[in-house]
Amino acid sequence: MSKIVGIDLGTTNSLVAIVEEGGAPRVIADLDGSKLVPSVIYFDQAGEVLVGNRAKEKMIDKPENTIFSIKRFMGKGINDVREDLPLLPFNVSADSEHIIRLKIFGRDYTPPELSAFILRDLKRNAEAALGEEIKNAVITVPAYFNDAQRQATKDAGRIAGLDVLRIVNEPTAASLAYGLDKKNQGTIAVFDFGGGTFDISILKLTEGIFEVLSTSGDTHLGGDDIDEQLIRLVLADLKEIGEQELALRPQIPAIRKAVNKAKEALSSTETADIVVENLQYRRSMSRTEFNKLIEPIIERTLRPCRQALQDAGLKPPEIDEVVMVGGSTRIPLVRQRVQELFGRGPHTELNPDEVVALGAAVQADILAGSKRDMLLLDVTPLSLGIETMGGVMSKIIPRNSTIPASATEMFTSFVEGQTNVKIHVLQGERELVKDCRSLAQFDLKDIPPMPAGMPRIEVKFLIDADGILSVSAREQRTGKYQSIEVKPTYGLTDEQVEQMILESFEYAEADIEARQVIEARNEAETVLNATAKGLADEQYAQLPVEEKAEISAAAEHLREVMRTQDHHAIRHGIDRLGQATMHLAELIMNAAIAKALKDKRVREIQ
Amino acid sequence: MDYFELFGLPRALGIDIGSLEKTFHELSRKYHPDYFTTAPEAQQTQALRMTALLNDAYRTLKHPIRRVEYLLSLEGFKPDGSRVPQALLMEVFEINEQMEKVKSGSASVEQIDSLRAQIHEKRDRFDTELQKASEQWDELLKSGAAESKLKEQLAELTKVLSESSYIRNLERDLEEH
Repeated sequence: MSKIVGIDLGTTNSLVAIVEEGGAPRVIADLDGSKLVPSVIYFDQAGEVLVGNRAKEKMIDKPENTIFSIKRFMGKGINDVREDLPLLPFNVSADSEHIIRLKIFGRDYTPPELSAFILRDLKRNAEAALGEEIKNAVITVPAYFNDAQRQATKDAGRIAGLDVLRIVNEPTAASLAYGLDKKNQGTIAVFDFGGGTFDISILKLTEGIFEVLSTSGDTHLGGDDIDEQLIRLVLADLKEIGEQELALRPQIPAIRKAVNKAKEALSSTETADIVVENLQYRRSMSRTEFNKLIEPIIERTLRPCRQALQDAGLKPPEIDEVVMVGGSTRIPLVRQRVQELFGRGPHTELNPDEVVALGAAVQADILAGSKRDMLLLDVTPLSLGIETMGGVMSKIIPRNSTIPASATEMFTSFVEGQTNVKIHVLQGERELVKDCRSLAQFDLKDIPPMPAGMPRIEVKFLIDADGILSVSAREQRTGKYQSIEVKPTYGLTDEQVEQMILESFEYAEADIEARQVIEARNEAETVLNATAKGLADEQYAQLPVEEKAEISAAAEHLREVMRTQDHHAIRHGIDRLGQATMHLAELIMNAAIAKALKDKRVREIQ
Repeated sequence: MDYFELFGLPRALGIDIGSLEKTFHELSRKYHPDYFTTAPEAQQTQALRMTALLNDAYRTLKHPIRRVEYLLSLEGFKPDGSRVPQALLMEVFEINEQMEKVKSGSASVEQIDSLRAQIHEKRDRFDTELQKASEQWDELLKSGAAESKLKEQLAELTKVLSESSYIRNLERDLEEH
């Protein structure tokens, strides 16, 4: 099987990692040597797209077509993110009720399409480093992601040309990375506080089995919220000195950058300055002041922790290890609060930015069949239910059930000859439908006409190992499988995803082009190495001067074209060097044969 | 295949959780979809179904109340937690009145605590009864009792479970407000 990479598709940064031949997992850097790819996408008028560091540079000058933190929009409708929008520079399309669409140069992009740009970039980096096409990936998501958010992530993978073999929860992935060199018994709590999301997962480790006991979290709580709190503070300061709200709006990206820098500094220093040069704004902030400001945000992480402990049936002293994941866990106040809650110092040995990607690579290695001793048993974070009479949600699979999980319910008709039954599927913990998250409407069709109450339709709800729901139905009297039409409430239909894959073909073409360049470069490298060996061989001296000159000219030429993006030119260069060294290769080969024969004769004589 | 069969257990209600977990892990290692990623699609689907069944079974059997519910459903009995238990007829009026107060938000912290204590006391009482009825079931099963005796005991279990569900619903109502 071809290689499977592990991808951490983060709110702020994304990474790709791999385990090669039983080795330790490692993060793959891009061509510039950078392991973290900022989850930023820049579009220019000509249709060129930049991803990562080069896109991040555009955030201040070209805010409306530089997209960041798109993960916060995955699987969401406009009403879910209304609070954030005033601070974001994006143009939201009118058609955003069920899927947010960002308008960029007159074209609408959904979050899965935008995420696909990041995934495509990571895929390309992996291909460049590994020298082969990458088709398969494991992608991580926050443990508390609901069905729609998981499906959106899977869709993003498909649009990027990846077969997503598994969606893995980030805290669980982190535990895999930590579990590699840790004792293999006990309970661990993974506190994962990233750029946009917060998760807490409690696991039990038994001889290589990583069993998640419970998980909780908030998919809209992270470093971005701290940034926004600080931005509001700066805006308030500026308004106080008479700046107009509307005039400040275009300055928000610059303010965001400034507060982010101060926030990061305050993890290691006692005071830091927030400096926005354009606005001639400068404000000093002490860590005490900072802590006071972010306290309410940090407080919001503690309730899910208590919930997860309760669901796992454990008390804080029963947790053997606490593991910290995500950039926001660098904040001293966060570490302090976690220490207070669990009564022990958290593990921070592995880089909190890399640990999820490393764990994803470990899970990829398990799927590739190389690690039979390890097994991950994860849970569904939210209860699954169906709408019943009076707008009440009836739970059929409770939260924290190990996945895959299933439940079977019987449905019938209410009127004679009824041939359709609608099922409304929800996720959440509340009693009323309106307080839960609507997942989809399933329409059971072609029920054989019978008197009311006669059909017995058995509907099976199955949550797979990715935490994604599928539904099948069978009328028991006739034994016939029912056709089901699915209308996802917040998400793309299969047809829409197919369409996006087609539309992304132009980018896929660019990918093929890039891959051909990589492959040609790798081959050129091999040929140049072989040539270098040939030049050191004693047979080289026997070559005529003009042949020697052509070899060095052809090698020099190949080295030059290798730096270009033109794979045709690289291939020509390889051919030319091949021609030039043909005679030399012949000589070396003949000499080797002659030597082998001679050795044989010597042995025979002896 | 029912959940008891899957774990190689008789239909008894006393289950050793440690050995249940051990079997669960062993079977997970055998069937989990993670080990079938490169297998043909039919095998992948089979692994998914089998593991879902295994997880459903483990979730049900490890939980003492879900376990009883499941046994009763296998045997064709259906507990009903919406009817007021006989033993509570006298007290339920008062409990409901207090619950209304909690729901409308006019109950004091002390009143809520007192209601909680009342409900917990009753819950514990029914839990003990359920435990006793479960043990009796296991005894009858082990001694190879007659079908009619077994049915009688199942009816008893259904009654106790219905009563205990009623209390549990009250408890849930209280904690959700």
